[in-house]
Amino acid sequence: MSPARDLEADVGDVLLSEDQIQARVAELGAQVSADYAGGTLTLVSVLKGSLPFMADLMRAITVPVRIDLMEVSSYGGATTESSGLVRILKDLSASIQGEDVLIVEDIIDTGLTLNYLLRYLRGKNPASLRICTLLDKPARRLVDIPVDYTGFTIPDQFVVGYGLDYGELYRNLRFVGVLRPEVYAETA
Amino acid sequence: MTDATTGEQQRGAAAEPAAPTPDDRTGAAPRPAFAHASEAEMARILDFYEVAWEYEPHTFPILWNLAGDVVESFSPDFYLPDLDLYLEMTTLRQRLVRKKNRKLRRLRELYPDLRVKLFYARDFRALMLKYGKLALVDALSGTPGQVTPERPAPPAVAEAPAPPPIRRAVGRRAAAPQRRSEVRR
Repeated sequence: MSPARDLEADVGDVLLSEDQIQARVAELGAQVSADYAGGTLTLVSVLKGSLPFMADLMRAITVPVRIDLMEVSSYGGATTESSGLVRILKDLSASIQGEDVLIVEDIIDTGLTLNYLLRYLRGKNPASLRICTLLDKPARRLVDIPVDYTGFTIPDQFVVGYGLDYGELYRNLRFVGVLRPEVYAETA
Repeated sequence: MTDATTGEQQRGAAAEPAAPTPDDRTGAAPRPAFAHASEAEMARILDFYEVAWEYEPHTFPILWNLAGDVVESFSPDFYLPDLDLYLEMTTLRQRLVRKKNRKLRRLRELYPDLRVKLFYARDFRALMLKYGKLALVDALSGTPGQVTPERPAPPAVAEAPAPPPIRRAVGRRAAAPQRRSEVRR
């Protein structure tokens, strides 16, 4: 067993407390419910970071929802060197043709992954395709993405918690915080 | 960016072949001779996410002498045609960043419809951190990331006399400046 690590101690400032996140997720859920009133919505969660947000958001939505999960490889990950191209690691389990689809993201920064996903999902002919992100970091944007629902716009800092990781850790923190630079300096 | 007027280029320890090399992934067009390793890394990232790019395809005159000759120009590193966006990488010394900022301000004055994003060293560092490649930052940025071998001399910019600044009509560029490379996917 690897030695225990105090994850909370690795976080400098708490950017968003658990209460702040839950309050905002409830607001987003109400907004989404109003916008899709009378319909059925398919939520597509982009793994892995959006899992906690997806779990809370879906329970804050009052219209009928289906859920599905997708995972795409990230640049620099284990699959990068073999193909040099982004890959769908986990595809949708059901057709979204003719469905109202809401992509649920944890964070949008460069927009590169989401730009790829949007093109991919549009090819599956949904009736509508919108984006809901918990966090938006516009300072890092390369690709302009039309975001329909944003939880919080955050400054240009490396954040972890509530699904967001560094080296696959910190996802289980109940808040979003800024990772101390010395943490990634020592593991780089 | 290459200063097309002075021919100023960044050279140093090789991190990417300077001469065009076959694209071993697609076997298609050769990769351009990147001036800096950070540019080569950015090209790999864009390739990964299937964003089309061109390397230094256009040169924009930004300063003319009284005779109407171009004395200074700006060639952004990347053009992303699907996004109609220019990308300029600036991972070098602060003195050069200041110079580039000045040229970029001038470019934006003359070509207000151009969408140009300046990518600073801190942006590149954040990108590498996001992709778990922070350990490579020092090798890919600043002086160590500069490429040694000679690159082909950039084409002369302009027989074009004085301004008027190029302005875009509806959609894409109205008057495309000089093209130097092909679109890559």
